[in-house]
Amino acid sequence: MSAARTTGDDLTDVLPPGCRVGDWVVTRLIGSGGWSTVYAARPAGRGPGRSGSAASPPDRGDVALKIMPTAGLSPRQVRSIVESARREVELGRRAGHPRLIGFREWFVLASPERPFLEGAIVLVMERATGSLRDLIDAGVPETDRGRLIAGICEGLAHLHRSGWVHADLKPENVLLGRDGSVKLSDFGLATELTGTHGYAPPMGTMDYFPPERWKAPLGELGVPIRPTADIWALGVIIHEVFAPGVPLFAGATPMARGAAVQEYGEGRAALRVDPAVPPLWRALATDCLAPTHQARARHTAESLLARMTTAHRRTRVVGAGRRGGRARTAALATALCGVSVAALCSDTARTAPGAPPGLVRVYNAERGCREPVDLDLRCSLGLAVDPLLPYTAENVVPTRVWHGDVLTTDCQMHGGDPVVDEEDRQSTRWFRIRLPAGSGPSTAWLPAVRTREVPALPECR
Amino acid sequence: MSGVIVHLPRESGGADGEPRADAVTLRLGPGEVARFGRGPASLPVELRLDDPAISRLAGEIRVTDDHWQLTNHSTAHSYLVENPEGAGEYLRVPPRRIGAPIPFEFSRVVLPTRGEATVSFQVFAPDHLYLDPDAMGVPWGNRTVTAYSLNETATYFLVLVALCEPRLRDQSRVAVPTTPRIVERLSGHLASGELTARAVSSHIDYLAEEKLRVGAPDSPEPGRSDRRNGKREEIVGLALRFGLVREEHLALLPPLARTGGQERQAAR
Repeated sequence: MSAARTTGDDLTDVLPPGCRVGDWVVTRLIGSGGWSTVYAARPAGRGPGRSGSAASPPDRGDVALKIMPTAGLSPRQVRSIVESARREVELGRRAGHPRLIGFREWFVLASPERPFLEGAIVLVMERATGSLRDLIDAGVPETDRGRLIAGICEGLAHLHRSGWVHADLKPENVLLGRDGSVKLSDFGLATELTGTHGYAPPMGTMDYFPPERWKAPLGELGVPIRPTADIWALGVIIHEVFAPGVPLFAGATPMARGAAVQEYGEGRAALRVDPAVPPLWRALATDCLAPTHQARARHTAESLLARMTTAHRRTRVVGAGRRGGRARTAALATALCGVSVAALCSDTARTAPGAPPGLVRVYNAERGCREPVDLDLRCSLGLAVDPLLPYTAENVVPTRVWHGDVLTTDCQMHGGDPVVDEEDRQSTRWFRIRLPAGSGPSTAWLPAVRTREVPALPECR
Repeated sequence: MSGVIVHLPRESGGADGEPRADAVTLRLGPGEVARFGRGPASLPVELRLDDPAISRLAGEIRVTDDHWQLTNHSTAHSYLVENPEGAGEYLRVPPRRIGAPIPFEFSRVVLPTRGEATVSFQVFAPDHLYLDPDAMGVPWGNRTVTAYSLNETATYFLVLVALCEPRLRDQSRVAVPTTPRIVERLSGHLASGELTARAVSSHIDYLAEEKLRVGAPDSPEPGRSDRRNGKREEIVGLALRFGLVREEHLALLPPLARTGGQERQAAR
């Protein structure tokens, strides 16, 4: 609420359409949060044209301006706003991905004619058409549900792999692009992991707090946050999308629902997933909502995503599905194929004993790294850029993998650089791994000693 | 944010003025229940109140949402729930009432006895939540909020502001005030009477343990000798860093006496 904080008069503090901010012209107000106000804007060089009215969908060049006023605040408050902006800018620069809202630039506003905006920090971001919250309120079409969740999961997998935790995941912060694709946004609380934890300011949205968060200690750096907090929030969102309007935890206020979450976390109450949630998504939501951090840690965004795509494959590949294809699952999974996992769908129906076709599970020979613990970087394994060159730090992609991760592979290569693991197993075989879209190179190579599953695969050309 | 704390002080209860064996502190999470009463072996209670006038099962406390409920099992006596910070604010829970919601953050439950002295115990409900000052006047259902909120009218908040005062006033890293200095700074300012040094210490403990949950996992060196001072500094650091106490809160304190400047210099 920039308004309430600066002058107390909302009217004077809302920028009218046509107002120029940097190289951008405000077209309308989108919304406001505790720290900031978000406006739709277009490049200053372009006339109001098609996107002038509020109703028309945004144009390609349109942006969202997140304005964080600093005028009239104490130095400490300004510092926390700068800190929040810094988190967004850092993340936008270093962890860009098609499933994260695109970050363009930021600047500090000099605005003598509007004193309340003097010194405001402006973040320029890709313009979305709406949020998942809008969609939930309006009713999410059944065929879109799986795709949306998979999109969120993909974004989370990328964030977590890059060493970040979102820390404020909720439908309001899941935006939808012009093509309906999922874009995670609002990284004001996002934190980079240092070891197993990151630290976020003591803020958040209570309905998405995991049970352990209610007792989290406050330290100098803030509240400790781990990737499993995002996984819990994902579970809450899965339930919201598949059983709209049915409360997962009962209570009239967020505090009351928080109390119910704690009762569940301490084993005094059971998790009540609405029967309307289809079996696959019920299983996924239940795992995301495991009551403790430890129990949740084994369900990484990556492994959840793999289950979503595997379930989809099972229903597509005739005879390969263990449980058979339920019509409903099949329909959802087909929708899932549409955008986020299109790559998997083009694979031919090839089965292998022991392992699902095209998937390998990462195996870490170091025993200590096989526990379902946090994504400790020391336990991560690299994927090679070129399997013919030595498997060294210079020859790996930025994307790291951990024990238990399920990766998509499309072919194998014999006669690469020989790799010996910690258990003295040696192999010159490598699997070509598909990386999620947007993560630099689109493929990388996993040495065969890093898995115990040997899928039948064609030789890479 | 983790339920309520029930505290039976050492000197309270005890037939014929005999001191009780020990103070009892129970911590109850949401949904948990603690029964209280004279409690024979056949009917165990979580909180034993050793007075012949009190029933074997006198009542129970149940934690619900961010508050707690009191059930009165007595068929004859009303129980009083007082708000020690509320200038005489109290509730009367009539006999056989089930689950009366108690709205106070601090409560003293008073049970009648035959003698002069009453039996009482305290219940703290630190989970009460307050709207962010920035967020006034807007629906807050799904807002991102500060997860550690403080009652700015409570005594503990006044103690916190007094602790933060030197840093807020001159921004320098002067020492955090000691307990006697807090007592002196707030003397004559509280409607509910004078603060004792012991009360200030327990407010500080309450802030550290229940409200902010000051965590020590960040400090790698275990067992710092001056634990209490470390705790104070940590509370002040966190309250200022995360904006829980701000410049405008200084207005809650009594105006600085003319000698204030000298005192501050003397303290250095």
